[in-house]
Order: sequence, then C-alpha cells, then structure tokens
Amino acid sequence: MGKIKMRLNLVLELLDVPGQLLDALNPIGRLGANIVTVIHQRDVKTERGTVPVQITIEGDKEILDRVLKVIEDSGIQIIQVDGILRKEKITTILIGNIVDQDVKDTLDLLNHIEGVMVADMDLKMSDHPEQSASRIVIEAEQGKRRQIMAEIKEIGTSKGFLVINEV
Amino acid sequence: MRICIIGFGSVGQGVARVFTMKKEIIKKDYGLDINLVAAADSSGAAICPDGLNPDLLLETKKVTGKVSKYPEYGVAGLSGMDILDQVDYDCLIEVTPTNIEDGEPARLHMLKAMNEGKDVVTSNKGPLALTFSELADAARENNVQFKYEASVGGAMPIINFAHETLSGCEIKSIYGILNGTTNYILSRMAKEGSSYDQTLNEAQEMGIAETDPTQDVEGEDAACKVVILANSLMNMNVTYDDVEVKGISQITPESITLAKKEGYLIKLIGEVSPDSLEVSPRLVKEGSPFAVEGTLNVATLKTDLADDVTVVGRGAGSIETASAILSDIISIWKMKK
Repeated sequence: MGKIKMRLNLVLELLDVPGQLLDALNPIGRLGANIVTVIHQRDVKTERGTVPVQITIEGDKEILDRVLKVIEDSGIQIIQVDGILRKEKITTILIGNIVDQDVKDTLDLLNHIEGVMVADMDLKMSDHPEQSASRIVIEAEQGKRRQIMAEIKEIGTSKGFLVINEV
Repeated sequence: MRICIIGFGSVGQGVARVFTMKKEIIKKDYGLDINLVAAADSSGAAICPDGLNPDLLLETKKVTGKVSKYPEYGVAGLSGMDILDQVDYDCLIEVTPTNIEDGEPARLHMLKAMNEGKDVVTSNKGPLALTFSELADAARENNVQFKYEASVGGAMPIINFAHETLSGCEIKSIYGILNGTTNYILSRMAKEGSSYDQTLNEAQEMGIAETDPTQDVEGEDAACKVVILANSLMNMNVTYDDVEVKGISQITPESITLAKKEGYLIKLIGEVSPDSLEVSPRLVKEGSPFAVEGTLNVATLKTDLADDVTVVGRGAGSIETASAILSDIISIWKMKK
C-alpha cells in the first residue's frame, strides 16, 4: 500500500527575471513531488513589482515539507500555503522608560505599520524606570523584514528608547 | 626586507616578538630576510642599518620604557617624521596609537612613506576610518603596497581573505562582532546576570577594557572597522561620520534576560550593507555563528557565489594582531618577488 498523497496550494512570489519560475519548480520534481497545476500570469504584479505564482503540488508529507524548505532556502518567498498567509516573527527589545512613554501608544504605532501585528509583549521593570526593558514579538508578512525593522527603530527612537533589533 | 616600526606599544612589541619567533622559518619558507632597521616610540628611536636585535629591543623597552635607550643605536627626541627621513627602509609598519579625531600622526607617517615609494603595513584604524580613499589613492599613485589586515578583527582573517580567497565573489553585506571588549562584557552579563557597570569594572581589572573604555563600549572602535570594511571590501566611499553608532552602555541585565527567554543573545553588531552602515546592539540567535563568547570576533560575509561565509578569530592581543601584520609583510614580499 502506498503512502497517502497530500496536496498543497502554494502562492510564491517571484522576481520578474528569466529563470525564476524554473528555479522554483526544479526542486519539486527533483525531491519527488508532483506538480499538479501552475498558474503564472506575468502581467499581474504585486505592488513590490514581484509576480505571484500559484502552484499546486502533490506528494508525501515529508517530501512536501522538504520542498517548502528548499524553495525558501533558495530565496523565493512563499506567501501563502493552502490559502493561509505565511507570517514571520520579528523580535525586538526596547530599553528605556517604557511605561512613562505610554505603552499603549507604542503598541498602537507598531500595529499601524502595514502588514504588522504585535503578537506578544513582555515587560521587565527595573529599579531605575529609565532602564526598563520590553520584548515585543511581531508577526509580519513574509519578505518585509528589513523595512519593518527600520520602522520599529524609528518609532522606538522617537520615544527615546534604545531599540535592539534582530541581526 | 628592511623594516621600520613606528609605534612600540602592545602591537609594535608583538611584531618584534613575532620577528624573533619566526625569523628562521620565514627565511627558509619564503626566502624573506626580515631586517628590523628602526623602531620608534614617543621617546625617540633605535636605528641600526645592519638590523636591531628584536630581543634586546624588547628588553630595553621593558626595563626603561623607551626604545631610545637601546644600547649604542638609541636616539632620543626624534619624531616619527624625522625617523622616516633618516632611515633607509623598504616597508613601514605603522602601529602608533589609534586616533579617531584626525588620524594623526599615523596618516602623515603613511603618506610620507608612500610618497617616498615605501610599502606600508598598518593596524591603525583611525586614519583608515577617516581618510581611507586618500591613503588608497596615494598607494596606487606611488605604486606601493598598502596592507591593513590587522586593523579589523586582529587575527581574524577578513580583508585579505575576502580579496584573495573570495576573489570573484561580490560581497553583498557584512555583519560582525568587531570589538572584543564589548563582546566580553555582553557575554559575561549574559552568563552571570551582572550589571553593565559591574562587568565593565571586572573587564578593566582584567585588562580587557581600558581605563577610558569609551572607544570600545560606545561602539566607536567597531564603527572604524565598519568603515574600513565598507571601503575596502564593498567599494564604498565612506568615512566615520557615515556610520550610525550606538554602544552597549545602556544594556541592562533585564533586557538580556528578556532576550534569552526567546532564545536570543544581545551582541554589538557592525553592519555593512548598501542601505546601512551601523554599529548597534542586536539580537542574535543562541547557537548561531554570532553566538561567540569572550573576546572573540566574528564576521559573516554574504556573497553572491559562495553564499554566507563566516570567519572567527581573536580580535585583539599583541601576538595575535602581530600575526596579521606578519602575514601582510609576507604577502608584500611574495608580490614583489
């Protein structure tokens, strides 16, 4: 008896350069998964100028997991899996007078960055209020990491915090 | 090769020591005969065309604190520029203390040497961070070699490594821990849960941090290295003022604890990328290449062909830094042969 085959619907985000689609498709067959459909419309672009491609693939679960990893490792963004937006976590630590500077306002500002949701926040008070620390975990759309980190830094700096972003 | 060392502090003495340790091997392996014709410190110089004895020089410095007390060949009161005028040499080792205000007197020493057709090896970050293009241009115009491996990361190979071993690769960005003192302090704080001030004191007692630790803890030293890497490895034309600099003096034990809960460490990271020149405390994953402890330095070069390449090594220390200077001397020799 063969293993149960799974199907996954993916949306990939490709750069509009020759060879990108092939790079994305190559590992699928190589790792032993089947490509069921590919919908590729070069004239439909995202606001970032990338081309979304819908792909349905079929295979064993372990193989499909490996396919996702290989595609992502090759620098191609997977933005949806089975209709669900893939998110990435961004962690930041702020040091400063967090409470005095209105915690709620800080969170509101962060939540207002496009494609960002504050998922978790942890506060550690110090004997010196200006040395309090806060860890904020943000969920963001894939592929916007650097831009979002820069915006977090701007918000934190405007409130006089030391912003410690991921590397 | 006739060598003139200007600056006889920790690095200069390390170079003299390494000359003694390696003299025979270098001669045997590379056919290079190192002849130390002059060494200078703030007291003056010791000059001998037939070659100084490095051991005697080190002993003299140790006992009297002055190279100008060197028996028979010591001369008191000479400036660096005087010495360069008086001595016949092939290669200048410029290792005077780093000055990040104006890069002097090292800048003038190096320019003079280059303009007179001499090769230059240095560990001196100040002039490189402030006037890199002036020095690189002078070297090119005079057709002399200008090497500065020891200026970034001490013994950690990075500049020659990128130029030679990674030649053909485009370097997209560089991220690294480029200052050993701050890495020591942050590693200790993470391990012991101690405060910044307390840990800095401990580092000072151990001689890891200087009495005035500003250059290290405020990120200035790392920022100099960011400038050197940006100019030499990524063809940027930038200077110290182009770097956004934040140090570690505001880091609290609370913030380190919060970071650890999510599997992160806080490290002082230098970033060289097309859209950012920055030194700042950053979160790095525990278990990642940046999670090095003690005074170690580390750098990851992101390249187009080789992907990520990471180097680790001792960022300071007399002999360690001298090892980078020695390798520069040998590579100049190989090139000239």
